[in-house]
Amino acid sequence: MDVWGRDSSRPLRGCMNSQTRKDKRSADVGLIFNIQKFSLHDGTGIRTLVFLKGCPLLCTWCSNPEGQCFVPELAYNRNKCIGIHECDHCRPLCEMDAITHAADGKVEINRTLCNDCGKCVDACPSKALTLFGEYITVPDVIRIVEEDGSFYARSGGGLTLSGGEPISQPEFSTNVLSTARSRGIDTAVETTGFCEWDAVRSVCEHANQVFFDVKSMDSEKHRAGTGVSNELILENLVRLRKEFRKLRITVRTPVVPGFNDSREDIAAIADFLSRLPIPVQYELLPYHGFGEPKYQQLGRKYLLGDVKPPSQECMATLRRVVISEMNLTRTEA
Amino acid sequence: MAQVAELARPLLSPQEERIERGEPIGLVSEEAQRKRARIHRMLAGFRDKPIRMNLERAHLLTESFKQTEGQPVIVRWGKALAHILRNISIHIGEDELIVGSAGPPGRYAIFFPELEEKFFTQEARPSEPDDSLVLTEEDVQVINEELKPYWEGKQYHGAFINALPDDTRRILELYCIIAPTATARSSLAWNHDYEKVLKRGIKGIKAEAEEKLASLDPVNPKDRVEKEPFLQAVILTCDAIVEFAHRYAKLARSMAKKEKDAKRKKELLEIAEVCEWVPENPARTFREAVQSQWLIQTVSRLEQRIGGTVGNGRIDQFFYPYYKKDIEEGRLTKDEALELVECMWIGMAQNVEIYTAPGSLSFTDGYAHWEATTVGGVDKDGKDATNELSYLLLQSKKEFPLNYPDLAARIHSQTPEPFLHAIAETIKEGTGFPKLFFDEEIIPLFLSKGGTVEEANDYCICGCTEAKMINHDAVSTGCAWTNLGAIVEMTLNDGKLKLFGDQQIGVSTGNPRQFKSYDDLWHAFCWQAENVMKHTFTQQYVADTLKAKFIAAPMCSMLHDLCMKECKDIHDGPIDGALYLGFIDTLGFATAIDSLAAVKRLVFDDKKLTMAELLDALDANFEGKEAVRQMCLNAPKYGNNDPYADSIGRNIEAFFVKLTRKYKSAFGGELDIRYVTITAHVPFGAVLGATPDGRKAGEPIAEGVSPSQGADKKGPTASLVSIANTKASGYKERAARLLNMKLSPSAVAGPEGTRKLMSLIRTACDLKMWHLQFNIINKETLIAAQKDPEKYRNLLVRVAGYSAYFVDLTPQLQDEIIKRTEHAF
Repeated sequence: MDVWGRDSSRPLRGCMNSQTRKDKRSADVGLIFNIQKFSLHDGTGIRTLVFLKGCPLLCTWCSNPEGQCFVPELAYNRNKCIGIHECDHCRPLCEMDAITHAADGKVEINRTLCNDCGKCVDACPSKALTLFGEYITVPDVIRIVEEDGSFYARSGGGLTLSGGEPISQPEFSTNVLSTARSRGIDTAVETTGFCEWDAVRSVCEHANQVFFDVKSMDSEKHRAGTGVSNELILENLVRLRKEFRKLRITVRTPVVPGFNDSREDIAAIADFLSRLPIPVQYELLPYHGFGEPKYQQLGRKYLLGDVKPPSQECMATLRRVVISEMNLTRTEA
Repeated sequence: MAQVAELARPLLSPQEERIERGEPIGLVSEEAQRKRARIHRMLAGFRDKPIRMNLERAHLLTESFKQTEGQPVIVRWGKALAHILRNISIHIGEDELIVGSAGPPGRYAIFFPELEEKFFTQEARPSEPDDSLVLTEEDVQVINEELKPYWEGKQYHGAFINALPDDTRRILELYCIIAPTATARSSLAWNHDYEKVLKRGIKGIKAEAEEKLASLDPVNPKDRVEKEPFLQAVILTCDAIVEFAHRYAKLARSMAKKEKDAKRKKELLEIAEVCEWVPENPARTFREAVQSQWLIQTVSRLEQRIGGTVGNGRIDQFFYPYYKKDIEEGRLTKDEALELVECMWIGMAQNVEIYTAPGSLSFTDGYAHWEATTVGGVDKDGKDATNELSYLLLQSKKEFPLNYPDLAARIHSQTPEPFLHAIAETIKEGTGFPKLFFDEEIIPLFLSKGGTVEEANDYCICGCTEAKMINHDAVSTGCAWTNLGAIVEMTLNDGKLKLFGDQQIGVSTGNPRQFKSYDDLWHAFCWQAENVMKHTFTQQYVADTLKAKFIAAPMCSMLHDLCMKECKDIHDGPIDGALYLGFIDTLGFATAIDSLAAVKRLVFDDKKLTMAELLDALDANFEGKEAVRQMCLNAPKYGNNDPYADSIGRNIEAFFVKLTRKYKSAFGGELDIRYVTITAHVPFGAVLGATPDGRKAGEPIAEGVSPSQGADKKGPTASLVSIANTKASGYKERAARLLNMKLSPSAVAGPEGTRKLMSLIRTACDLKMWHLQFNIINKETLIAAQKDPEKYRNLLVRVAGYSAYFVDLTPQLQDEIIKRTEHAF
């Protein structure tokens, strides 16, 4: 078992038995794992979130683990499985013999054998087996996003690209955002910032607002928590700020107990932000463990199971730290 | 990456917080408790009082009816009402400023012997100590020995049943396919023209009747036989109403004489002065206006069984001139105004509706009554009508803890932001108020149906989700509920229902196992539906034509322009010039859509199942067929903006409106299609077998136009778009569409959340919804309330066009509310 809860024989990135499957991603076709309407906390107004699949970071606290891998993955929700006595539609279809069953009749997935082909998914009547990850064209994304057009008009909402890391599919993301914008839809991006600068620039050019995560100023700590160091991220933030002087940038920090919930951690980020030539907004988001069930569905172990969300007092203290460290246009109360 | 900035702990709505703190019932802010101490005192222990039965009205009615055998119906009812108003016991409570009650002190229910059939067919018995309704030995004696012998064979209900064609009677007697409500109340939800009384006084109405009486053609037999008795009844009623008010004045004076407390003495003398003046004369002050309106409502409760569904009308409009003048001239403060209307709210809450007629016993849960009170909207001229009083009434709804009156806010494209903001903030309280109605849908619909621009602009809400043009619409007969779930079951069962075995209930549409295509299924569905509609139209026709032989309502009629013009009772249609905008309720809309969609997808399109496999699974109530049930549950569902399901919904609605367009009601009116379940989706579901949407036997069917419980997985925006897409917008034979939406408090937290709720409401207006109501509540709270009813006894939830105490609801309905999808995000 590696630090991200996967069997170490199956590295998460680059990835798995399904490596040989053809990558269908292109400028016109993206890999997403969800489109969520009526989203209220990721930009102005009532928004539609398009979650792109695949992320260069592997944050231990990630609440969207299904967004980490760059190919479709089989998810299995044991609660929904009605068991082989009632059903047994999936097992005969599996060419890899990856599906067995437990004593209670519910199926089990042997992840070392499974190649995420998805044949069992079509056969599963209860949707206990699903595929995280779906290839979709730019026009299809736009069509679904525009279904809620009247809500954007009233609320000032629009489209937010999230993930995963949307900038890891730079051409597709650029196409979606530029098309949306040309059709009058407000655009926003949520990014880890860990991408080539050209990709960051190309995507963010078409966004009206960018949510940019800064998790820690300490590079080693950053690597321990996310799998990558923070230099590229910080560098991209500075360049983004300089090159898009009018862009609304909101920096966000997920406050994860035991990782970055000390006054010093947050003060260091706030200090860095206060030195940017043009102010950015800054939000602290309390860690939550709502992603845990999805780890189970992916056959992975959630390593932060014992971590409790930061207390309201802790969040209030850290927000005061932020306010005293920097003169921000706004802090999230 | 952070997907949501959701707080880790569930956020509570203000209502949930109050319950957590264990606050007793009372005004909800300390400031309000201080400023309106009187109301706070009156509320203490309000819900602890048992409900007493008012049998006095029944006794007096019967006494009068015994004397008037053979006389014209309107005269009999005029005399009976006068007899009641002159003799019924009256009382003035300790802190009351607005007086008038249709029953004994505290909470009460009224016994209506002209309608209560169940009490007569079954043996009445005294209540047990734990019953919420008190029925004493003496009460039972009155029912069994005085009322029953007289009313047996004289009731509207019996005559209605006897007059039905045999086949219609048979299907109605099953109660779960078509449930008539015509004989459960004297009238459909109604709204009196209170403004008429405020402006002209009862005196003015009486003068009008006298004038008309004097100008009747003494030779014209119609004038003599029809108009004269009507006008005589009106005059009699006017006198009795004035006398009723004067009795209160007299009582107040005699109480003042004995009163030691100087302050209360003064209040009692003021009560006397007010009741000596109104409703006889036009109101001069806000207090007189409120008292006058309330007395008319009180008389209305005694006149006929519609009390609970008689609305307050556009109260922020017709009270406003009096309010404004009093405030300007320094006679009234805002707090005093609130105190006066809240005295009236308490009066409404004291009257509990208990339905005991067969077929309606569990159809409205939680002591449902409405007294819909309309605020906002446009004025007759089409301009925004919001005023200071509109805001004040919202404030009262936020601070006044009881579920009465049912506040309804009219929203239009130019509803001012501050008013919408106040509405959103009130909704966020979490008690389900106000319910919302959208002018952009309702006004054009009324215009297309024949209302004038002024009338349509001036519509008001009454009952659950009905809207009325009060001096033009004259429908007064309760509508029928029809069970779309039963139609689905009969479609898949050759016209039979499993509950009734081999009995042929619907038409024979052939063995479904032989259906070759979705078209075959659809045609069978339409055929079954047409048959159900045939009986529905028939029973409504019979109910309409028969009613005037049994029931008349002189006060209700004298407040209606057209009844006075024609000198005709409201029940005695057709009234010349009146628009009859009736409707039938189709219940289980989403159940029908999802069922047809599942068969279409699984059997005919994807061929994952044969019809036989599906039907066998339904027959087995999915026992041992869980895989089939899961396929059904995961088939396309209405409420997710999925054209596959939504287009079926559109076709169902179009089928019904096209059918209803072909026929007229007894009085030449429309029978529009409406989706208002109240709580009938629970008993309607209880009689059905499993349905192809994955619903198990006995579970509730879907309510209103809401998606099936838990089926709307794409969030509220997708639900709203689905609802807009299923509407047969090109037809005018449409009426109310009831929509419940449950949001978690965290979704609308903070000022940001308020703004987002506001834009959701604005968009619902753009999408031309008819109605929308919210429950802002955590699912955990509802589950906790089921387990610990004592702690949560003050928890209000939105049920269906009304809010009720959660613990007063049946367990089935509680479960159903818990299962409604909570949109968090």
